[in-house]
Amino acid sequence: MSNAATGRILLFILLIILQIALFDRIHLFGYATPLLYIYFIIKLPGTMNRNWVLLLAAFLGLCIDLFNHTMGMNMLACVVIGFFRYFFLDWFAPRDLYENYFPSFRSLGRAKFLRYAFVMTVLHHIILFTAESLSFFDPLALIYRIIGSVVLTILLIFAFESIDFDVSKK
Amino acid sequence: MRNLFHFIFKNIHWLLFCIFIYLSVLLIVNNNQFQRSKYLQVAREVTGRVYSVTNYFRSYLYLKSANADLLKRLSQLETEVYAYRNYLGTLQSDSSRVDSCIMDSLIYRFIPAKVVNNSVSFLENYITLNKGSDDGVYPDMGVLSVNGNGVVGVIRDTSPHFSTVISLLNTKYKLNGKIKHNDYYGPLEWNGKDTQYSYLTEIPRFAAFEPGDTIVTSGYSTVFPKGIPIGSIVDAQKQRDDNYMSLRIRLFTNFNNLNEVQIVTNRFQKEQKELEERTLNPKITQ
Repeated sequence: MSNAATGRILLFILLIILQIALFDRIHLFGYATPLLYIYFIIKLPGTMNRNWVLLLAAFLGLCIDLFNHTMGMNMLACVVIGFFRYFFLDWFAPRDLYENYFPSFRSLGRAKFLRYAFVMTVLHHIILFTAESLSFFDPLALIYRIIGSVVLTILLIFAFESIDFDVSKK
Repeated sequence: MRNLFHFIFKNIHWLLFCIFIYLSVLLIVNNNQFQRSKYLQVAREVTGRVYSVTNYFRSYLYLKSANADLLKRLSQLETEVYAYRNYLGTLQSDSSRVDSCIMDSLIYRFIPAKVVNNSVSFLENYITLNKGSDDGVYPDMGVLSVNGNGVVGVIRDTSPHFSTVISLLNTKYKLNGKIKHNDYYGPLEWNGKDTQYSYLTEIPRFAAFEPGDTIVTSGYSTVFPKGIPIGSIVDAQKQRDDNYMSLRIRLFTNFNNLNEVQIVTNRFQKEQKELEERTLNPKITQ
């Protein structure tokens, strides 16, 4: 097994543990909860087979769901962003400019990577929180939740990315 | 053909995407109570609308057969009316029977009702009927099972469209019953255990009976007409007091599948009650 694959599995496990042990307990101002685990999907190599991306995304969401007792919700959101990831990547960083690239600050540059991560996060949070409330009974609270959580998640992604343990480098 | 396979294989991620979405929605709906109820609510609304539209059109298709059914029923009823008219003619020649018949029907009237709620599992069981004060049902009216063959209970309370009945299977309720052929009477009490049996208590020890004898209503209260069958004797037990015994009665009414009942209204119930009240508590001012 290659180093990159091992690193990715470690990242997978680390993100799940962090998510269920730490981030899920955070309810800043009663609204914002960081959902850092999608960092794994964001960091998958850009050239990866799309079927694999979908499979991994579904599995990741399912794992989180199992621990949170929210069967299916995280899975749904993860599958959707896993599917649209390809289009976002193409949109923000056309593939022909980069050869076999891994999305990161280094390969895409800060601005591009953050834009890409932002779109992914927003989409994920909108789907997840909407599925959770499943009604527009209190739309303002829903919007607060989405915005707050997106801000926290982006901050955490920024922090993680700055540590720069690029799996491709190992 | 090869191009088609190629196309499908190339775009298989779409299929995979749909499968995963389907799976996750399935998981959400099956495992989360709130989302499930929402889903069912929407699904019911949609299917209900669709059905009402299709029903509207389909009902036209069956107009013909419905019409034929109605005509058939009409002729059947016509025949019956004719038969009753003939019967009435023969009765009118025997005027005394007609008079008693009419008198009976004047004192007691029967209101058909449906059981909408029923319990047999508690010590104090109540039944809810779909007729209420708007239909002329008031507290203290008797309730019989539909063929007049067995007592169900007494109306306890009414609202405009519903009424509650104290069932015979209620340890708080004591109906007066008597042995049909020798008129010894006593209160009927339920012991809260078996829904098929009740106990006729305070029967003198010398009262003669045989297993299988019928127990009927005594008619001493204004609730039930005299002689409505309640049940049949199974066996006897001594009570604490040696002078009396209690008879185990197998009830005619099956409370477990009660559906249609009749409410008995007594035209003179109020009058009789007022009179009895006056006799027991004469007012000082009078």
